[in-house]
This record gives sequence, C-alpha cells and structure tokens, in this order.
Amino acid sequence: MKMLATIAWRNVWRSRGRSLVVIGSIVVGIWALIFMLGFMNGFMISYINGAIRHEISHIQIHKVDFKKDHNIGIVIPGGMVLAESLVSDPRIQAVSSRSVTNGMVSSPRKSSGVRIYGIIPERERSVTHHDSLIVEGSYFITDLKNPIVIGKELANTLKVKLNSKVVLTFQDRENNLVAGAFRVAGMLETTAPQINKATAYITIEDLTRIAGLKEGVHEIALLLENPESETVVLPDLRSAHPDLLIESWREIAPELELFLSMTDSFLWVLIGIIMIALIFGIINTMLMAVLERYRELGMLMAIGMNKWRIYMMIVIETIFLSLVGGPVGIFLGLLTMYWLGMQGIDLSAYSEGLREFGYSSILYPYIENSAYVYVAVGVIITALLGALYPAYKAVQLNPIEALHTV
Amino acid sequence: MKTLTDKKIVIETRDIAKVYQDSKIAVQALKDVDLEISEGEFTAIVGPSGSGKTTLLNIIGGLDNPSSGTIKVAGRDISKLKDSERIDFRLHNIGFVFQQYNLIPVLTARENVEFIMLLQKIPVHEMKARSLHLLEEVGLKDKANIRPSELSGGQQQRVAVIRALASRPKFILADEPTANLDSASAANLLDMMARMNLEEGMTFIFSTHDQRVIDKARRVVTLEDGIIKSDEIRS
Repeated sequence: MKMLATIAWRNVWRSRGRSLVVIGSIVVGIWALIFMLGFMNGFMISYINGAIRHEISHIQIHKVDFKKDHNIGIVIPGGMVLAESLVSDPRIQAVSSRSVTNGMVSSPRKSSGVRIYGIIPERERSVTHHDSLIVEGSYFITDLKNPIVIGKELANTLKVKLNSKVVLTFQDRENNLVAGAFRVAGMLETTAPQINKATAYITIEDLTRIAGLKEGVHEIALLLENPESETVVLPDLRSAHPDLLIESWREIAPELELFLSMTDSFLWVLIGIIMIALIFGIINTMLMAVLERYRELGMLMAIGMNKWRIYMMIVIETIFLSLVGGPVGIFLGLLTMYWLGMQGIDLSAYSEGLREFGYSSILYPYIENSAYVYVAVGVIITALLGALYPAYKAVQLNPIEALHTV
Repeated sequence: MKTLTDKKIVIETRDIAKVYQDSKIAVQALKDVDLEISEGEFTAIVGPSGSGKTTLLNIIGGLDNPSSGTIKVAGRDISKLKDSERIDFRLHNIGFVFQQYNLIPVLTARENVEFIMLLQKIPVHEMKARSLHLLEEVGLKDKANIRPSELSGGQQQRVAVIRALASRPKFILADEPTANLDSASAANLLDMMARMNLEEGMTFIFSTHDQRVIDKARRVVTLEDGIIKSDEIRS
C-alpha cells in the first residue's frame, strides 16, 4: 500500500499544470460551498433571530381559546403573578406580560387597523429589544400622558409625527366600543412588516383601564437564556400549567419552521450541484491521466500487478488530489467565514426589499464547526465517486493492446 | 521436438494456433506450434516481422490465450487460468523485458527494481539488499536514486532487465530487448543477461530479429508465417 501511495502521490505531480487546475477547482468549489452555506445559514439565522428577538420570542403563554378571536375577556388567570414567578426561573432570560387586542388607530387624516399591545415597557424591552429599534422619539421615556409607540410606516400612513395625537378604538370586556387618545412617543422600525405597519404599543395600565379589565394579561412572552433549553422548559411549563396554551416559536410561527426546512433542502441541492460539478472535473482529469498512462498500466498488469491494486492506485491518486485541494478550500472558507462573521456583509443597497421580507440589512454569515467536517467528508466522497469510472477504465484494459499503445 | 539439455521441460506448447479475428478478415498468427523449452535455456525466437514471435511470447507469458492447442508453463495449463490467477502466475513466475523498457517513470531505478519484489511481499531488508546488489552488478549503483528519464536507453534497459529478474522468476521473456539500443549497449546488455542466466539459472526466451541476440543464443527457434521453420541448438 505504501508503494501504491508513493506512485499515486508522484503521479499527482507528474502533470503539474493539470493537477493544479483540478486542485484549484476543488479549492474554489469547497470555498464556494462553505461561503454559500455560511451565507444561507446567516440569512436564515438573521431572519429567525429577528423574528424571535423582535416579534415572537421563544415561548408564548395564552389562555386556551384566546388566539381564536383575541377576545379581550379571555385573560390568563393570575397572569401578573405567573409572569413574576417565571422571572425567577434561571433558564428564562426575560419575561413580558402583555395585554392584547385588535382595534383601530386614527389620526386626523387617516385610520388603520392595528393590533394593540399593552405592555410593561421595562419588561418588554428586555424581551423584544424594541428600544433599540426606535428611529424617532423614545421607547416610553417621556413625560407625555398616554404615550404610544408605533411603527414608522404606520406613522407615515397616518401622517403623524412625534407628539401627534392619535385615537385608539377597540372593544372593552362588555364588547362596547371604547376609545382613548394617545400621543406618539416613539416610532420604531423592525424587520417584521406587521409591526411596522399594523401594531401599536401602549402601557398595560392604559389598556386595562380603558378596557375596564381588572386582570389584563392575555399573553406572556418568554425569552430563554439558551434557545436549546426550549425542549426542557416547554414540557416543564406545560405540566405545571395544563390549563394554559404554551407554545414554542415553532408552533407560533410554523412558517419559520417551513423556512428552515426549505433552506435546508435548498442547501442540499446546492451542495449536490457543487459536488456533481467537482465529480465531473475529477472524472475528466483522472480519465485523461488513465488514457495517457495506458501503456504503463498495461505494463503493470503484465508484470503482475493485479486489478485491485491498479484500481486502488487510481483511487488513491484521486484522493490525494482532493486531499491537497480540500484542506486549502476549507481553510480559505474558514478564514472567509471568520472575517465576514465579524465584519458582516452590507446589504443596505437592497435593505428596502430585505426589510419587506423581515431581513436585516447587515448579514453575518455563520457556519457551524460540524459543517466543516461534513464538507471534508463530502470531499472524500466526491473524490471516491470521481475515481470510480477512471479506475474502472484502467482495470478494463487489455495488457497486450495497452503495451502496443504509442 | 528438441530441447537444449536433458533438463526438466518447463514450457510445453502443443498444436498452438492463434487467429486474430477482425470484423472482416481472420489473420492466422500461429499454426500448430509444438515447442518444448527446458529449464535454464537461453533461447531466441527469431523470424521476420509478422512471423508470430511476439504472439508466441505473449502466449507463453500468459498475456494472451491461444485459439487452440495447449500451453503448459511450469507444469500448469495457463490458458485455463482465470484472469486474476494468471496475473498472479505472471507475478511469481515470469519476468518481462520490453522493447520500450517500460519502467515506471515516477519511481527511481532502485524503486523500479524493487517493485515486483514489493508486489510479492518480499521482506524489505531482503528486497533492498537484492536491488542494490543487482544495480551494482550492472554498474548502476550510483544511479540507484535517479528516475528513468535521467538514464540513457541502455541504462534503462539494464534496469528493466534486473527488475525482471530481481524476484528470481522461473522465466525471463524479453521482447526485442535490444531493438532500441546501440551496439555497445546491446552487447553489454546481452553479456549481462547471459551471465545472469548462468548465475541465476533462469530460463531466458527472446523474441528478436537482432543478429547480436541470435549470435548469443544457445538455441534459435525460427518462425515464419506462424510456423516453426527451424529449431537450432548450439553447443
């Protein structure tokens, strides 16, 4: 085997130019693969993290049936107490209790349908980080009476500015229409279009007061310390509160799960395409190498080198080609990921379109360490697949015919 | 049928025929060839181009099958061996010397000599000692670590010969071994092979139309149109 490896290695460098072209294509292919994996992964993480951090959080708790029609009367019994008790759970990073209803927001010039959230600003900001997304005004740090924070787009629709007055109209617990006047304290811009266009945040005191609720918590949103712990926290909460509807972000936003699996499928297709291109490149080169050495292979067979050894010699040679290109490609990919992971890719030229789809304008490519291992294994498999046909051609030769090849 | 000595017959062909069938025409390369070769012979198979020399050598070497007839080499009917068995038989019994030298270009002279021994799994120390001894024998010890492309034609053919006999096969089959060599190199090579034949006791069979080889041979079998025309044993 050592001699086979020696011959194979030296054969790699026999046609230096040709080998370097193949090695180069392997390097570029693997680098492109890692970059695309990182880019797509970063895109996916940016989208999902954006949705989790600014919109849905990891876990939400509701009273069963509340989500059917958002009836303002279906509150979580002892919601405030429950929320406070969850704050002390070390697995939970932040808790926000919300009062939620649907209604209408009107300015002197326009009206628009909105979902109204009554929040405790200090709690809400630790869950949704909306204070960091304020583009005008502030996040409830104001002397204004009845402050309201709305999306910048909604403000544009209503044609209102900071401190402008808007009126919220919604049903109270007796299904009577009630209204309250608010002053715009802040405008935010998130990656979630529905928050930008159709959501209004007021304090929970204001909402419960206007709606005439004693206990007004309809929704408790939880942000976990470690997202992976969701599989443990969720069953614990469910067994402790069987009368409540406790859902993970996957259940709240199944489209995110679908997006994840679609992106995964797309990545596999991409990996497949790059690998197939590499396989054909390798087959082409190795086939040329075999045909060029037809006479030599015939001689080897004539002097007693069996077909298995000849087969292995071609396979080892192909693996060597890939083993030179593979690590270089992986290393370049790793460097690229490291650099871009810190710098990010500025997609602000497309930010308008990206925001429409819930993406951030700076993308941070990311790839898990295990992906490098998969890529390395993929390279070996590609080399092996690429070696099969040339090696088969090599062992099919007739030594006499081969020896007479010029 | 003649043999050189009363030594054991190691190659025996009976009514060997070989027909190459093209899509349109059939070419009869050998016709009813009966030949016995004894252990240790130094035989030249001669004849004009197309007379069937190389075909006969290929059949004896197990590289080709006869269309009819039987061929026994070292007591085995090699035409009945499977492909893999035949490769193994060649590895352990036959050393080949080709007209074009056919050394492995990416290996050094010493590695080329050791190659067959390596395939035979001969212990490394024994293999190294043997290769260096043979390289010294043929005056190429100082070229041991040089690749074939840096050797002259004569030097390459000497390496090819010692590669063939390094593993001590029973037979050395040489197809036109001197065809590409100048007179001095050819004489040198023939002397070396004659010496090896005497020292190592291997059976040498050449296919050639080189008079220098014919002069050196102790038996000359002449083929014409695939038929043995004469079989001359020299003292």
